[in-house]
Amino acid sequence: MRIQNHPILSFNRGKQIKFYYNGKELIGYEGETIGAALYANGVFKFSESKKLHRPRGIFCAIGHCSSCLMTVDGVPNVRTCITPLKDGMKVESQNIGVEINE
Amino acid sequence: MSKIENLELLVVGGGPAGLSAALAAANYGIKVSLAEEREFLGGQLIKQTHRFFGSEKEYAGTRGIDILRKLIDEVNKNKNIEVLLSSRVLGIYEDNVVTILNDHKMKKYYPQSIIFATGASEKFLAFENNDLPGIFGAGAVQTLMNVYGVMPATNVLMIGSGNIGLIVSYQLLQAGVKVAAIVEAAPKIGGYSVHASKLRRLGVPILTSHTIKKAIGKEKVEGAVICELDNDWNEVKDTEQLIKCDAICLSVGLTPLVDLLKQRKVKTTYVSELGGYVPLRDENMETSIKNLFVAGDVSGIEEATAAMIEGQIAGLSVAKRIGKNNKKEIEKRIEEGKNELELLRSGPVGKKIRKGLSKLGLNHGKNYNENFSEEALDISHLMKTGVPSEENLKNKLPSEEKVFDKGPIAISECFQRFPCDPCVKSCPFNAISENGNINNIPYVDFEKCTGCGICVSKCPGLAMFVVHKNFSETTSVVIMPYEFLPRPHKGEIVKVFDREGKYLCDGKVIRILDGKFQDKTAAVSIEIPKRYYLQARNFKVEE
Ligand code: SF4
Ligand code: SF4
Ligand code: FES
Repeated sequence: MRIQNHPILSFNRGKQIKFYYNGKELIGYEGETIGAALYANGVFKFSESKKLHRPRGIFCAIGHCSSCLMTVDGVPNVRTCITPLKDGMKVESQNIGVEINE
Repeated sequence: MSKIENLELLVVGGGPAGLSAALAAANYGIKVSLAEEREFLGGQLIKQTHRFFGSEKEYAGTRGIDILRKLIDEVNKNKNIEVLLSSRVLGIYEDNVVTILNDHKMKKYYPQSIIFATGASEKFLAFENNDLPGIFGAGAVQTLMNVYGVMPATNVLMIGSGNIGLIVSYQLLQAGVKVAAIVEAAPKIGGYSVHASKLRRLGVPILTSHTIKKAIGKEKVEGAVICELDNDWNEVKDTEQLIKCDAICLSVGLTPLVDLLKQRKVKTTYVSELGGYVPLRDENMETSIKNLFVAGDVSGIEEATAAMIEGQIAGLSVAKRIGKNNKKEIEKRIEEGKNELELLRSGPVGKKIRKGLSKLGLNHGKNYNENFSEEALDISHLMKTGVPSEENLKNKLPSEEKVFDKGPIAISECFQRFPCDPCVKSCPFNAISENGNINNIPYVDFEKCTGCGICVSKCPGLAMFVVHKNFSETTSVVIMPYEFLPRPHKGEIVKVFDREGKYLCDGKVIRILDGKFQDKTAAVSIEIPKRYYLQARNFKVEE
């Protein structure tokens, strides 16, 4: 969901663009991050943890925690919370996290 | 081998401390390169929609986002500053060579001096299911809603009642998100009381001596189980309750981001009062390594105002060392900065910082006076609940009821000693005084106050009200600050609430001051039945 009116801020959104989340076409805006665009589309589960397949989404939104990693245009482990959204981007869930005891 | 670029000063981090540091040095002719890992400057300032506390000299009363605009403007205009965006510092080596990654390319720099203003990261909290989507750090919530205009959720449970937790809760409400409650493990509220009171007036419960046990939900948060804690922080039996929410926001503190400093083998030490491992440093912000300075949260967790002053001190210290002229003037400005910092830290809320600094072996200046720390009022009830006690209020009201007969007068509902003075500075009639120290509690001189209402929009804590008791035979008027949408219309009937967010009565909007001067904190005059003039402190407009 997007904030339409705000008492303090005004949001100057960029051009509307298309992108894909696990093959599904979604709309976002130029200038926002992949993570913000997913959230605005009601997508909270980005990927799954490697071993227990627990859902993962945004935690820190500033590139510090690795909870939001996804495969973007074929490149795995992209921090979607700080990566700008581009027209036609293919964003896919992946298994994230390292197993320490293996 | 790529060639190494020589620099006079490298500032790492484009937040309030880094920007201030770059400006301070560049203004004395130092060539500065400012590296920021994001594609824009501002650090956490970019999310701060509220007005800042602190002293007028350092932008108090101005919204964080507006302070940022000014700083960025100055940086862009300054020919001595080169801004390196999307530039992540990856390494710093023993010979002081720094590697920076930009657009998949690695570059090497050899700076004569470095100021690290890398800020802090959020602390985490252990509880069952704490990895579910919908559990955020407070900063993430702010980024989503204030930077990108995206609602993080519809109903949030806030964990932690420090200033960040309180401020973000208020910002959530402004964005149209419900806040189910604020949960605080300590027996008292961590942040400033004015922030807490603001939320209570809006009906948000603050549950001190409570903690979260687990998050509920499969794919994302659907609720949370919280419980009460006793004085020893143990769970009280049978106090579990289920809170419905679709997000849990963690605001349990910050810790300095010292990784790069450690890489360079800067001496660090653990100081809990400052948030964790912090670099040893002197009063000029220089670390154990010569020409390597720090500023802002990386040197210890404090407010943004302090971070900006520290940045200035670090920048000026570099200018003093490598600059050729103006040494006397620079020295004077460094002294001024230090005095300003001391003043900010001199009250009771600065006690923790002072203790932390003393563990770093830093000398307390002449402005520190530990005796001053005693609270002037007993605010234990206020700090437990966010609502001032009868006693607190009595202390701030005119001693004689007949003062209310003379006309509208300002009531300051600010009961805590902390560094803040926009109310004092805003009053054109000098009717508000803090007795010379910014940490003192402001008192209104009812003789001088004309009830003009200017202070209502200027107080960052929304703690100033104007009360006109005898507006008519049967009604009073209260001027209240208002920072929400929709804005009320003149003549509209609104719901009026008390300090705990309880419905009192209906009121009629008779005047709205919402111009440039009010800067989005409207001052709204509401006419109410006379018997509520000392209780009515908030209102809501029906959508
Ligand atoms: S109402 Fe006006 S005169 Fe009274 S304290 Fe506020 S600013 Fe000063
Ligand atoms: S009343 Fe004055 S000191 Fe208190 S929060 Fe408002 S401006 Fe600051
Ligand atoms: S949400 Fe933490 S790295 Fe993206």
